[in-house]
Amino acid sequence: MLIVNNLIKKYGKQNAVDDISFELQGGEVVGLLGPNGAGKSTTMKCIVGLLRKTSGEITLGGYDHLTVEAKRLFSYIPETPYVYDLLTVREHLQFIAQAYNVKDWKKKGDDLLELFELNDKADKLGRDLSKGMRQKVSICCALLPDPQVLFFDEPMIGLDPKAIKNTRQVFRELKNQGKTILVSTHLIDSVETIADRIMILKDGRIIGNDSIANLKMQAEQGAGVSLEDLFLELTKDA
Amino acid sequence: MREIKLLLRKDLLILLNNIKLILRNPLRLLPYAAVIGYFLFIYWLRLGSGDETSTPEIPELDTNGVPLPNFSFQNIIGGVTILALMFLFFQLYRATKKNVSFFKMADVNLLFTAPVKPENLLIYYMGRSILPSLGGAVLFTFYGLSQAADRLDLGFWNLFFTVLSVGFFFFLIQPIRFLVYTLHTKYGILEYIKSGVVFLAILLGGMILIPGLMAEKFWQGMFSWIASPWFDLFPIVGWSRGIMSYWSHQNWLLSSAFVGLYCLFYFVVLKLVIQFSGYYYEDVLEATKSNEEQLEKVRGKKEVDEGTYSLNSKKQLALPDFGPGAQAFYWRNYIHASRQDFHPLFGIYSLIMVGLGILFAVLSLFDWFSHIVIYFYLIILIILYFLAGTGRANIGDLKKPFFYLIPASWGSKFWNMIKLDLVQLTLFCTVLIVPTVLIAGLDWLVIPGFLIGILAFYLTGLGINLIPQIGLDEGWDRVLIKPLMIGGIILFGLIPAGLTSIFAFVITNQFVWALLTLSVGMSFIALILIHVTLDILKRLEFKEL
Repeated sequence: MLIVNNLIKKYGKQNAVDDISFELQGGEVVGLLGPNGAGKSTTMKCIVGLLRKTSGEITLGGYDHLTVEAKRLFSYIPETPYVYDLLTVREHLQFIAQAYNVKDWKKKGDDLLELFELNDKADKLGRDLSKGMRQKVSICCALLPDPQVLFFDEPMIGLDPKAIKNTRQVFRELKNQGKTILVSTHLIDSVETIADRIMILKDGRIIGNDSIANLKMQAEQGAGVSLEDLFLELTKDA
Repeated sequence: MREIKLLLRKDLLILLNNIKLILRNPLRLLPYAAVIGYFLFIYWLRLGSGDETSTPEIPELDTNGVPLPNFSFQNIIGGVTILALMFLFFQLYRATKKNVSFFKMADVNLLFTAPVKPENLLIYYMGRSILPSLGGAVLFTFYGLSQAADRLDLGFWNLFFTVLSVGFFFFLIQPIRFLVYTLHTKYGILEYIKSGVVFLAILLGGMILIPGLMAEKFWQGMFSWIASPWFDLFPIVGWSRGIMSYWSHQNWLLSSAFVGLYCLFYFVVLKLVIQFSGYYYEDVLEATKSNEEQLEKVRGKKEVDEGTYSLNSKKQLALPDFGPGAQAFYWRNYIHASRQDFHPLFGIYSLIMVGLGILFAVLSLFDWFSHIVIYFYLIILIILYFLAGTGRANIGDLKKPFFYLIPASWGSKFWNMIKLDLVQLTLFCTVLIVPTVLIAGLDWLVIPGFLIGILAFYLTGLGINLIPQIGLDEGWDRVLIKPLMIGGIILFGLIPAGLTSIFAFVITNQFVWALLTLSVGMSFIALILIHVTLDILKRLEFKEL
């Protein structure tokens, strides 16, 4: 579904993303882990087209990632949830429904608002929402077009415990529906239970890309080691 | 076209929500009503007194009996044109440093990743940006013309072409800046732009110098070329002038031709932007985010950043410790000041202000300026530092938890917080006032008068803002009592000191005695306020934004 080949993103002379290649198969849930400044967000922003790649190829469903056809296939949930100050929550959904040409969005929109407990906030303006609520609106907007691929950039930041639980539940449901998900996160346990595969980034390079079980074997750790231990082992400075 | 429809619908919804908000709270309209009321009042005042028949001006004649050009009018046109040109060049130069953005972060998150064509988004937003330009132009025109309403013909077409002239000028700058930035990021044209700006500056300098030197008096000829009608063909600035020249010739066809030039130019710029911007999303990200942050600062959602005007932010420092406890604040301020300017104690801003003072002194030495200019300059500096003092309580250490956590007495924390300001201020004022007094031949007592006065005003400003912040709890009491408290300080502190100073001036007819009286009076007030501040400082509490 997603193919990234030799992706390089430079800021001046520094390689923020240093020649990485990976694939995401349809229906796969992949966690993108890494310490601060590893290049997780930059990688994701390059894929969704917010940042210009320096070189490399990215295709989604066989289309170049910058084409309108490719964009119909995915949604992106950014780390900082910016919304329109003077649109209500429901109007945001209406806006997205138009942008993605979603027919009969009202029922689905209501379901999403209920799931994220925003139904009583449906007529509130964007400027009157807290950061956590904006994040929920952002997730609802991403889910409304029913995309094939979802990119979550630190989706749990700013959410309350119940919303975190609901988001995990959403991940599971999306996985059951066969959606492809790439989640960048610091909260390792949020992907440990649902991720088919983990990619660990450090200094713009992929230093681990496999299932959790295989990664543990690669790191030559014994059984019973948590993903967190494995992550710290792989990303520690030599 | 789907994108245009989508965005139009979004903007209509936003407009509707704005109207609903206004209807829910019509008091929001009060500031606008006040502005309209002000304009109506000024126009009523001016137009009411405009009945007197004014005698037509008789032009001056030269030795041959030929009417001389109206030099003052010519210099006003030339001066305004030069200012507009400088603004335009500055914008072009800035475009190579930082892009403009027509977008909001919500557009970045929700639209940029949606299946829409980037060029259509750009066309819509770029076109829409004419609305604020025209709105600003309407305000500018009505405000600008209000003072001369009794002498001008405020007919519809005169106003229409004036609004278009100003509106188009500001509107076109944004797409041009976008284009320059795009070309710069793609082809690195910074050097060409720099050379272009230098070339144009030399050209314009020549266009002022040559006719100036050719004329009988320099000031009579300096703007004769730039103010002449053929300069109306100069892009953007000239075209705007051409549109506005409807006032003099009343030929709508001629002014419309300049409007047509603008439209053609916009079309060309738009085509070029679409061709060269390509997949521009990354180019606008930083500018969009920075706009959003500025907006949040204006709304007060974000703390004012201390480093906003920093000139030397990337400076590497290895400063030794100044001492334990509260001295850490002095050390912190010293580091901050080192990055704020080129030297922590005496920087470029100080140098400019000292330079101005000495320039005035030199000019007054040669009788080009009277001493009054220097006195006014000193008073302006005192007012500026008074305002800086009032702003000091809103930024820096007081807004950080360390001020509360570091184990030291409140008095020493406060002293170390303002110590660097006082050192900087004393140094700056000494370097300014001593040569100024010596060169201009002022009374030497101006030196201590100015030094004590500026320090006293700074501390008074600090106290005025700090005491209500500490002494009053959050809520209505602060809203209601703070103005009363400030009013009290002004009524029983500033006004008596000011009146005594005026009294001293009336008796002696000398600035120096007025300054000394004011300084002594303000010193008392500053001492009282600092005493009160130190007394209640321990009640200060940290407010997280």
